[in-house]
Amino acid sequence: MSSSPENEKQISTTVLVIGTGGSGLRAAIELAEMGVDVLAVGKRPRNDAHTSLAAGGINAALGTMDEEDSWQQHAADTITESYNLANPHTVEIVARGAEQGIRDLERYGMNFAREDDGRISQRFFGAHTFRRTAFAGDYTGLEIQRTLVGRAEQLDVAILDSVYITRLLVRGNQVFGAYGFDINTGTRYLIHADAVILAAGGHNRIWRRTSSRRDENTGDSFRLAVEAGARLRDPELVQFHPSGIIEPESAAGTLISEAARGEGGILRNANGERFMERYDPERMELSTRDRVALAAYTEIKEGRGTANGGVWLDVSELPRSVIMERLPRVYQTMMELQMLDITEQPIEIAPTAHYSMGGVWVRPEDHSTDVDGLYAIGEASSGLHGANRLGGNSLIELLVFGRIVARAAAAYSAGLDSQPRSAEALAGARAEISDLLAADGHENVRALQRAIRNMMTEHAGVVRDEAGLKAGLAALDEIEARMAGIGIHPDIAGYHDLAHAFDLKASALAARATLEAALERRETRGCHNRSDYPLTDPALQVNLVWSPSTGVVREEIPPVPEEIAAYMQEVSAAGKLVE
Amino acid sequence: MSTTTIAADRPGNADPAITPFTVTFLIRRFDPEVDEEPRWQDFDVEMYATDRVLDALHKIKWEQDGSLTFRRSCAHGICGSDAMRINGRNRLACKTLIKDLDISKPIYVEAIKGLPLEKDLIVDMEPFFASFREVQPFLIANKAPEGGKERIQTVAQRERFDDTTKCILCAACTSSCPVFWTDGQYFGPAAIVNAHRFIFDSRDEDAKVRLDILNDKEGVWRCRTTFNCSEACPRGIQVTQAIAEVKQAIMRGKP
Repeated sequence: MSSSPENEKQISTTVLVIGTGGSGLRAAIELAEMGVDVLAVGKRPRNDAHTSLAAGGINAALGTMDEEDSWQQHAADTITESYNLANPHTVEIVARGAEQGIRDLERYGMNFAREDDGRISQRFFGAHTFRRTAFAGDYTGLEIQRTLVGRAEQLDVAILDSVYITRLLVRGNQVFGAYGFDINTGTRYLIHADAVILAAGGHNRIWRRTSSRRDENTGDSFRLAVEAGARLRDPELVQFHPSGIIEPESAAGTLISEAARGEGGILRNANGERFMERYDPERMELSTRDRVALAAYTEIKEGRGTANGGVWLDVSELPRSVIMERLPRVYQTMMELQMLDITEQPIEIAPTAHYSMGGVWVRPEDHSTDVDGLYAIGEASSGLHGANRLGGNSLIELLVFGRIVARAAAAYSAGLDSQPRSAEALAGARAEISDLLAADGHENVRALQRAIRNMMTEHAGVVRDEAGLKAGLAALDEIEARMAGIGIHPDIAGYHDLAHAFDLKASALAARATLEAALERRETRGCHNRSDYPLTDPALQVNLVWSPSTGVVREEIPPVPEEIAAYMQEVSAAGKLVE
Repeated sequence: MSTTTIAADRPGNADPAITPFTVTFLIRRFDPEVDEEPRWQDFDVEMYATDRVLDALHKIKWEQDGSLTFRRSCAHGICGSDAMRINGRNRLACKTLIKDLDISKPIYVEAIKGLPLEKDLIVDMEPFFASFREVQPFLIANKAPEGGKERIQTVAQRERFDDTTKCILCAACTSSCPVFWTDGQYFGPAAIVNAHRFIFDSRDEDAKVRLDILNDKEGVWRCRTTFNCSEACPRGIQVTQAIAEVKQAIMRGKP
């Protein structure tokens, strides 16, 4: 039995929240408002969470612009867009709770855009039937994150900004806390908690081209949950955004708003052909996110891409005034990052991994997992998006389930007679860090991380097939074998190397889950394109649930309630591209 | 705008980004365990025109001296963690293009002034955040909105505080203020900007409390309208104007 290391801090709290993005902070705020002891920890600064990069907006059927809108229509649009893989119960909870979510944000001081008479303004976004997306200036996500940070500050929520959680502490099938370390100082943290809320994002950073930054969305939630005994749902369903920039390397994956196409931007391949003619001659560039991403991917794959492996998005034929008024942020971003004047020159773009629609398996009603006391929210969780996410739904999900999960976790804690702990589990968590710190092999952590990202891009990108996915799994076996020989060298600047090693472990697990589930989904549906199974298979209108011990298991999706089904219809996205 | 100039004198596609050139950086180093006083150290770095000062710091750290210490996170001007003094002006390292600096001379980089120096380019931000917290930077609105819906706010009412919502708490303004340098008790521009954000929000009910706080001898009246803060703000907030509006609100009440 290992004794506690000298540099270990011990903390006890009622509910531990892992992740300080929108969903984690919203949950922490609810707990603090209820008077429940809560601690939120994140591996990145709360002011720089991934939530702050969300641009488009946040959905709720407030009906401020279109009175006919209703939560039923919002739910119906969400399920239609999901290619019938969303869980109708999850969808209903979000659509019903959305108005409250907006009201909460408004109560915290969020500066939503307004109409002349003072109503919250709402606009079209993607495949919505009505104008339903509230927004704030250029950066809705940023304003939401700031609002939540301010509210958390007001409530004195305890937040640790640079603590990396390495393992959930579990006894039997019950969570009792988590273990981690401070990325700057190396100080270990033993945190005892009755309940733990996982809000540490998805896994889209395991692709080479991704809209996530270096240490974001590396699959941490997936690894922590699975090692604690939970399962994943639909890890293969990842949304690719059609237009991320390729250069400079440090900013690769920065997204070019779909509004660039919405306003009349034209897509061309390296031969100058307007290639959307081949894929969607009717809607052309105004086609949906998944189809445009697929088209660009196919052009590049078949050798008609640019030397950098991209295609051209050209807005230079638009009047300069339109660009300045409607696409100011695209103009500014390209000027800053590439010194490229988009009123004169085309933008080189490529499909970019953007959002994990699958995630930790949770129950729709309270987002509890297979492990008692463990909950998951936000991009870490699953159930709302199915095979294609309706734009603006990810932000409202944070608000709705942040509130619900906080209440569920507090109630769970209140119902406990005791908190059974396990010295053995703790010893394992301590040893895991000590062993890694002692690792002195010659394999470089970042190089292996890059190998995973290259492998996933090569074999599990926009278009997949059996041979490629199997080759990916074989390559992953090799990478995992090499992971046994890594060397970890914390330096004067901190323990980033150790953090990267855990990112790597998480990425490897997320990659395996993704490849295995993608192999089993022998159909093409939404974001998941199988060149060897180009049609949608009605028999696969199921969720795929994965764990290391069971592999992939099919899970039936409950029928859509009549109340929602009555509203389901195909919705045109023309003129509604804003993110 | 400087960016348009850059575009205009650039003929081809990505030409200037292709040829690297050497830039000398003079960085003010300080290691509390070794140094009694900060010292200047120079580094030669290969840079491209599209690089920023933050790229230079990364290159130095990764290729020349791993002990160089600085804060950075988002690298695109949102998180506010890498404000520093570059050639005597407070700027964000991630937003400062090499191309916009005179590279015929060394580029001076040092920590922001007026806050306790911890190490190299890092200062203790706690006094800065303490002032920020003191102005109660959050919406205080206890009355329920009418009809159980959202609080109404017109476009004009929202516009009233739009400028001051842009603050990213980088401290570039406060640490460029000569009053703050000599009197660390002064709230400083950033705290006043964040008070302004809520004082002029039509939904807020507690403007009076914030105005009382800022009517202190360490409050707005210490501002001598030097305009350093407005020049330093990487978000282009009209800081001096916001302070002036708070002064007027104290004298005449919230408009």
